[in-house]
Amino acid sequence: MRRSHLLATAACATLAWAPLVANAQFAPAGSGGAPTSTVPGPGNGSSSSFEPTENTPAAKSRFSGPSPYAPQAPGVNAANLPDIGSMDPNDVPQMVPQQSANPAAGDWAAYGHDDSQMRYSPLSEITPQNADQLKVAFVYHTGSHPRPGQTNKWAAETTPIKVGDGLYMCSAQNDIMKLDPTTGKEIWRHNINEKYEAIPYTAACKGVTYFTSSQVPEGQPCHNRILEGTLDMRLIAVDAATGNLCPNFGNGGQVNLMQGMGESVPGFVSMTTPPPIVNGVVVVNHEVLDGQRRWAPSGVIRGYDAESGKFLWAWDVNRPDDHSQPTGNNHYSRGTPNSWAAMTGDNALGLVYVPTGNSASDYYSALRSDAENKVSSAVVALDVKTGSPRWVFQTVHKDVWDYDIGSQATLMDMPGPDGQPVPALIMPTKRGQTFVLDRRDGKPILPVEERPAPSPGVIPGDPRSPTQPWSTGFPALRVPDLKEKDMWGMSPIDQLFCRIKFRRANYVGEFTPPSVDKPWIEYPGYNGGSDWGSMSYDPQSGILIANWNITPMYDQLVTRKKADQLGLMPVDDPNYKPGGGGAEGNGAMDGTPYGIVVTPFWDQYTGMMCNRPPYGMITAIDMKHGQKVLWQHPLGTARANGPWGLPTGLPWEIGTPNNGGSVVTAGGLVFIAAATDNQIRAIDEHTGKVVWSAVLPGGGQANPMTYEANGHQYVAIMAGGHHFMMTPVSDQLVVYALPDHKG
Amino acid sequence: MPNTYGNRTLTEWLTLVLGVVIVLVGLFFVIGGADLAMLGGSVYYVLCGILLVASGVFMVMGRTLGAFLYLGALAYTWIWSLWEVGFSPVDLLPRDFGPTLLGILVALTIPVLRRMETRRTLRGAV
Repeated sequence: MRRSHLLATAACATLAWAPLVANAQFAPAGSGGAPTSTVPGPGNGSSSSFEPTENTPAAKSRFSGPSPYAPQAPGVNAANLPDIGSMDPNDVPQMVPQQSANPAAGDWAAYGHDDSQMRYSPLSEITPQNADQLKVAFVYHTGSHPRPGQTNKWAAETTPIKVGDGLYMCSAQNDIMKLDPTTGKEIWRHNINEKYEAIPYTAACKGVTYFTSSQVPEGQPCHNRILEGTLDMRLIAVDAATGNLCPNFGNGGQVNLMQGMGESVPGFVSMTTPPPIVNGVVVVNHEVLDGQRRWAPSGVIRGYDAESGKFLWAWDVNRPDDHSQPTGNNHYSRGTPNSWAAMTGDNALGLVYVPTGNSASDYYSALRSDAENKVSSAVVALDVKTGSPRWVFQTVHKDVWDYDIGSQATLMDMPGPDGQPVPALIMPTKRGQTFVLDRRDGKPILPVEERPAPSPGVIPGDPRSPTQPWSTGFPALRVPDLKEKDMWGMSPIDQLFCRIKFRRANYVGEFTPPSVDKPWIEYPGYNGGSDWGSMSYDPQSGILIANWNITPMYDQLVTRKKADQLGLMPVDDPNYKPGGGGAEGNGAMDGTPYGIVVTPFWDQYTGMMCNRPPYGMITAIDMKHGQKVLWQHPLGTARANGPWGLPTGLPWEIGTPNNGGSVVTAGGLVFIAAATDNQIRAIDEHTGKVVWSAVLPGGGQANPMTYEANGHQYVAIMAGGHHFMMTPVSDQLVVYALPDHKG
Repeated sequence: MPNTYGNRTLTEWLTLVLGVVIVLVGLFFVIGGADLAMLGGSVYYVLCGILLVASGVFMVMGRTLGAFLYLGALAYTWIWSLWEVGFSPVDLLPRDFGPTLLGILVALTIPVLRRMETRRTLRGAV
């Protein structure tokens, strides 16, 4: 579940000595069986959920959270919104064609440019020949950053959208604004007064959604709307022209998304992605804080009427036949897989593609239901008329590695066997396995094989799946399994330290099961492969751009007694103190026999990763000619990284961990920041050559976007930084353009 | 025996410090390397550690043999690392960069150690 990030940048002053030759290799292909949508193997799945009932006695330990039936803590429903009523999904008005279906050439109408989420722009003013002339056109300050006394939990991760005369975006704490796209001047700003307490793991707002109403006539307020999901679980609709709340949406423009969720505290559940609108249905997912407790709030996915904000349906994994809102003291089933990645809508098929995460208590699976095991860490295609899955494709069976999907699915056409284009979906994963599926039925277009996944020494009563799916027709975005000789360092001293660390851990490859007696190594790990930056795809050239991480983790299950000694307790425990244990990395996993200790696989004394560089890569794949790798190289220099967190200032492309994605343009350029060297780059799409770079005022952990205004092409990046990537926080949106030769 | 440690020059003091550093690194290699070898890992570190401890001890004693032992350990390190990772600069970096830097310093101490040995021989002869 949740975002995942990696700290730990590593690079080394002594690198000056060595020209950087760091080419990742691909994992070897093998053989196996056909993919399966059910969890293979005996003992993999219990017949029912063990969720506590109202009569289950509450745990007495001071390290345990309250009953799921306890009332929500003050501040959970931050705006004190009344309950929202339901309506029949068949009564949803016919949606008018949306801007995001076919954006104007200079617009960027949705999070990933348009409904396909390709992150491709047809703009071509900026080219590999002139990109080196790019200059800052303007900077906009969102005003959201840590105040004195507040822990830095900021990582804005924002991508603005551009429709017509406005650039629409949100601040890290969900204030919504419209900017003049040529000057950055604020046209309006809607403050939503979100409390610091509402920030979960990270203050992030990846973007907002533009919606044109079929019910409100053109020229009236709220004909065009900006919709946003917030950290404090509100669904908000404002008028795109004025920024005023839409009075006919929800309760005065807002819907309380904590309705029906049961017991919770502020910051436990939150929304960070722009909700897609499919055939008039706005679909919301949310992140649930990792590692807290087995009976964390539900990962339910819900549909609301985009016109009225009324509730339409819920997809609650453990109540598969009940799509209604819970009434009375009931709640959506607890601890079910949550989805925190951006979802993708498909109006033609009436589907929303939900990249799911894992059930609560990521590293222990014995308490999960069959139904949960079938849909965790999967792509689930929900019918927006009913809220029922039409198909499911699972990327990890019985995930206990936090390989939740962070990326947004990209829609594109693949050539079919008879020459006809097949509607396809590209689903990147943290495993570095990229699945290309037929979006009509979820069947793989490129071959997927079930291969044996050896799992010695499993936790009693918690067997692992004997096989796991591998996408054999697509280049693996990973390096081969780690070996002792891959351990690195500044000197043989820290290298020896890492070699011992490697040998002291259990490791039999990607699916090494969790262990209590000693640590286990997780590679690719929860920040590995493709995270929330997703991929960009140029439909003209057929080139797919992927940036990815090589950042293993070092984990260990701890007994309940040891977890209590470590002070691990869930965030909703009345004794929980912020920073006093457990919300990040280590987790109480209350309700299971174990807690979890998670650290990067690093030398904790120098802060350098234990494995050899590179730690981050960028790859271009030719989708039109057999998924060949066109070019691939490390992404990110050592300039801002080094041992003990010291910047080395070195320009060598060592390849740093990266968070945030890319944009590809008809001008033949890829724009990407993402790396922890705090730079934005323009890369020639066809050769991989970096043709321009600029230093940002903060970490560029966000997806850039590009648009045209007043006849000129602009490139925008939120340089918000990322607390966990340890890049500088800022509240600045930086927008670049070529110098105006006419002026 | 006359006090061979009296009236040291600066270079002799630096040689002594270098010897102590090599002993400490060597001890870390022996202890950590034994741990690693027992865990089924590379035996390079424990073997190299023994050489380094001996090298450092002889250097502290003012014996040229100490410097040559270090250079021997360095040669062993290069051969081992080329065997383990080949000509891959990024992988040779942690294995050989520091030891080679240290090796240059050790080579510079050879004249100093020779002088110390000569002086000791002369004193012994008096």
